[in-house]
Amino acid sequence: MQVVIFNGSPRRKISNTKLLINSFLLGYKKATDTKVPVYYIASFNKKEEMLNAYKNAKVVIIFFPLYTDMMPGIVKEFFEDISKFKNYERKKIGFVVQSGFPEAYQSIFVEKYLEKLAKRLKLNYVGTVIKGGVEGIKIMPAWMTKELFANFTDLGEYFAKNNEFDDKINRKLRKPYRMSKIKRILFSIFSKTGLTNFYWNGNLKRNKAYEKRYNRPYAQK
Amino acid sequence: MKITILNGDLETKKSDFSDYIEELVKQFQVNNHIVDVFHLKKMELSYCHGCWNCWWKNPGLCSTKDDAEIIFKSYINSDFVIFASPLYVGFTSSSLKKISDRLIVLLHPYIEIRNKESHHTKRYKNYPDFGLLIKEEDDTDKEDIQILNDIYDRFAINFHCEKRYLKSVNLNTEKEIVNASCNI
Ligand SMILES: Cc1cc2nc3c(=O)[nH]c(=O)nc-3n(C[C@H](O)[C@H](O)[C@H](O)COP(=O)(O)O)c2cc1C
Repeated sequence: MQVVIFNGSPRRKISNTKLLINSFLLGYKKATDTKVPVYYIASFNKKEEMLNAYKNAKVVIIFFPLYTDMMPGIVKEFFEDISKFKNYERKKIGFVVQSGFPEAYQSIFVEKYLEKLAKRLKLNYVGTVIKGGVEGIKIMPAWMTKELFANFTDLGEYFAKNNEFDDKINRKLRKPYRMSKIKRILFSIFSKTGLTNFYWNGNLKRNKAYEKRYNRPYAQK
Repeated sequence: MKITILNGDLETKKSDFSDYIEELVKQFQVNNHIVDVFHLKKMELSYCHGCWNCWWKNPGLCSTKDDAEIIFKSYINSDFVIFASPLYVGFTSSSLKKISDRLIVLLHPYIEIRNKESHHTKRYKNYPDFGLLIKEEDDTDKEDIQILNDIYDRFAINFHCEKRYLKSVNLNTEKEIVNASCNI
């Protein structure tokens, strides 16, 4: 087994992560016929099979959503599990972190952890791809996600050929790195019109929960 | 003061770390503080499924029914929280991370610009400040401590509060932790 992908989203098959992996694999398949198995870290009933796949892989790519500025708890558990294979074999490892907020900056702290993790486990670190603004891609019209998916397809094709991430695409995906002053001003103007909360309000209304949106059910004082 | 301690020790039997936490609780109580302590691994706690029910179906309520609700209540009604955990592969435990993910239920989905960045607005009026109490691994170095500091500082921005300290059970007595926690 050469390359194995792990999907670290708790949402598994309905995750944004899955959409990005699909695009990545589309590109991967352009360059090679080798099949790439994808495992869902949240599928705990397959844990043993998953750890075996990790053990036997030469190249591992772990995709996950940013959860409170870090990897989700289930991905941390996976890291604890694979740390048992510390001196097992020198293999390549890369990560793809995608987040809800648009700025790549939000993910650079977990990136530092991932780099250190690879060092700790004596793995050959090939880098971390970061992409912000991913929540909501499922409901966006095709023209809005076209470039995103195309970038991931290119990323996959490049990876199949070189066993590493294309730096140029990674740099492109990391935009915006931070919110520019103009964007921040526009944001505060739009927020007065309710436009910035469009996604949440739409869903709140659809679920007839809009009136309850400020509830504080756990407050005691 | 009312203090919540989330103990992320993955060892459910006797351990130095959990003994330390037990002694810490006693020291708080001697000083007339009220403490809720949760040994996460011993509780029935799922992970966050990312369903957003807590944001757009039953606002403010987590729809996973397990022991988490008492933690949410304790957390949001506390004056101070201690995230306590031995380090495992350079970070606090998966048990602690799983419940931290679920704390998102305490925030509001609406987005604002804070620190020149996007962040979620408050759901509650006040959020407790916290301290981070760790047990170092044999190979813990300065870089690991920096990574922990950075990430928990980020957590503090998201959760409308401040990280008051990062301390280690290897270097600090229980009394010192009590002082650091109450000196706010
Ligand atoms: C519990 C939880 C915590 C999250 N924390 C962050 C965060 O700190 N920063 C951020 O930009 N997005 C955060 N997000 C948003 C997710 O990263 C984003 O929705 C992502 O696209 C979900 O991907 P998935 O569908 O593959 O799980 C969080 C989402 C959840 C459910």
